[in-house]
Amino acid sequence: MSGVEVIRGREARRAEGARRARGRLVRRHLLVYAGLLPFILIAVFPVFWMAVTAFKTDNDLVNPTVFPFWFHQPPTITHFTYLFQHTYYGDWIYNTMVIAACVSAITLLVAVPAGYALARVGLPGAENMGIAIFLGYLIPPILLFIPLSRVVGLTHLIDTKWALVLVYPTFTVPYCTWLLSGFFKTVPPEIEEAAQVDGCGRLSALLRTVIPVSWPGILTAVIFAFTLTMQDFLYSLVFVSVSDQKPVPLGVATDLIRGDVYYWGSLMAGALLVGIPVAILYSFFLDQFISGITSAAVK
Amino acid sequence: MAEVELVTGGRAAARRGTFTRDRLVFGYALLAPAVLYMCLLVGVPFFFSLYLSLSDATVGSQVARFVGFQNFIAIFQDSTFRMALRNTVMFTVIAGICKGLLGTLMAFLLIQEVGGKKFIRSLIVLPWTLPVAISALAWKWMFDPQFSAINYVGVRLGLIHGWPNWIGEPGLAMAAVIAVNVWRGFPFAAIVLMAAFSAVPLELLDAGKVDGATFFHRYRYIVIPVVAPILFVGLLFDTVFTLSDLSIVYLLTFGGPMGTTEILPTRAFEIGIQAGALGRGAAIALVLFPILLPVVYFLLRNLRRRETL
Repeated sequence: MSGVEVIRGREARRAEGARRARGRLVRRHLLVYAGLLPFILIAVFPVFWMAVTAFKTDNDLVNPTVFPFWFHQPPTITHFTYLFQHTYYGDWIYNTMVIAACVSAITLLVAVPAGYALARVGLPGAENMGIAIFLGYLIPPILLFIPLSRVVGLTHLIDTKWALVLVYPTFTVPYCTWLLSGFFKTVPPEIEEAAQVDGCGRLSALLRTVIPVSWPGILTAVIFAFTLTMQDFLYSLVFVSVSDQKPVPLGVATDLIRGDVYYWGSLMAGALLVGIPVAILYSFFLDQFISGITSAAVK
Repeated sequence: MAEVELVTGGRAAARRGTFTRDRLVFGYALLAPAVLYMCLLVGVPFFFSLYLSLSDATVGSQVARFVGFQNFIAIFQDSTFRMALRNTVMFTVIAGICKGLLGTLMAFLLIQEVGGKKFIRSLIVLPWTLPVAISALAWKWMFDPQFSAINYVGVRLGLIHGWPNWIGEPGLAMAAVIAVNVWRGFPFAAIVLMAAFSAVPLELLDAGKVDGATFFHRYRYIVIPVVAPILFVGLLFDTVFTLSDLSIVYLLTFGGPMGTTEILPTRAFEIGIQAGALGRGAAIALVLFPILLPVVYFLLRNLRRRETL
């Protein structure tokens, strides 16, 4: 056997090996995709079905003889126009925006100073105070809604959106304080020290140096204040029963049913129009949410 | 010379004293609004609810009499409440196990290096990120007795026989409610686990491989000790969310048919708000407290560990 043949044999073997490796890779990819496919279908299908329902004409929707998951009459936006012309949907969106903006503002005003104090000032017992504040997040609304109905009753805010502005910070403040205190710990202390050496007071050092470099954390806190507000159902159900004061999830769930009849087209249109933007916004910040609540275990 | 040093030293110490006091005042002033708010709207209501549960307070009346443990005795004599308690425990346990299993499976698939992983992930987290009331409505439509999309698919695939009314039949309604909770919660479990897997030190795995540790040993001694506590914390959080969520049952079945999907949150809402018996409603909600207590204890212990690290 000549040397050349040996080399050729080696090359062929190597090519064979590479082909086999590529085959293995392709097989593994296919296997993973095949495994993920049912999960994707299950996760996405209800949303797809909502979308199809929202754009179907009523006749098309209740026609039992056709394949239900596609259009047999041209898509329509009548369910959406109906929402804005014949229901309080416009008010609900406005209420949701006002509630979210006010809750975010209150949360920041309270949670930024508290998070900073816990992370930086070196108070004795800061750790226990931080945990005590976070405990508020673990006392779920279900334990509080009955006594809070009395408290909200005292303030005469009941049946207005301001009742929700008052109670929603009970879950946004503890979560955002916790998140921000973790964030402030990562800001290098040298920058405030430098500002203080330059003659800034403590407060102005905080406002001029720490806050400006912390805006990603603050933005995250605002997003969570907004999305956690959107996830609530119980408090709005208990505290607001006047139609034009409701936020969107409650309004869609309780006001779009007349008698016993569900108007699925407009129900799904109303649900989708708000649900999708919230879901997308939330999914961008999901990793931070997860690491916010589990970071102890990760370290 | 020494005297001068002593004097400046003393002055510095005095300055440091006011420095510390200023700092403490500053710190507590920053903390005060949060503490005050949480005391007034979480602490006070919580203790107020303990008081309510021992009184005969109703929505209408301004005065409430102290009645001792009468509310608790009464609710435990109520068969609907007992069913609600049993359902709550069953619902939480079964849904928790399903979410853990499905989440683990999905996390294993999602940590594989395949193309389009980010996109797939963003689709799969949709159930968790949609507002819960909105997804409950979508499922109510999917379970619609007449136009059920699930039946349509199931019958054509030969998985379902007849045309079951998912939210109207006692045996099926609970399964439907659990299914929606699992649908909503499994992406959370999966994302938590993916975070956990990414925390596994790769160097250690490689070192283990070099040192001849078997696949099983690498899992047993490197991966599981890192992943297990994170999954545990994720499931604890999920338990808090599941125990306290009323919207799925409220919107899907309203506790029916015949109380078979009644859970403590819906029962507390019916008695405390709809029937106006605040005291009794508070008592029902407080039955959740001993169930939540161990969960909260473990979560707080975990947080304390974060603080000390």
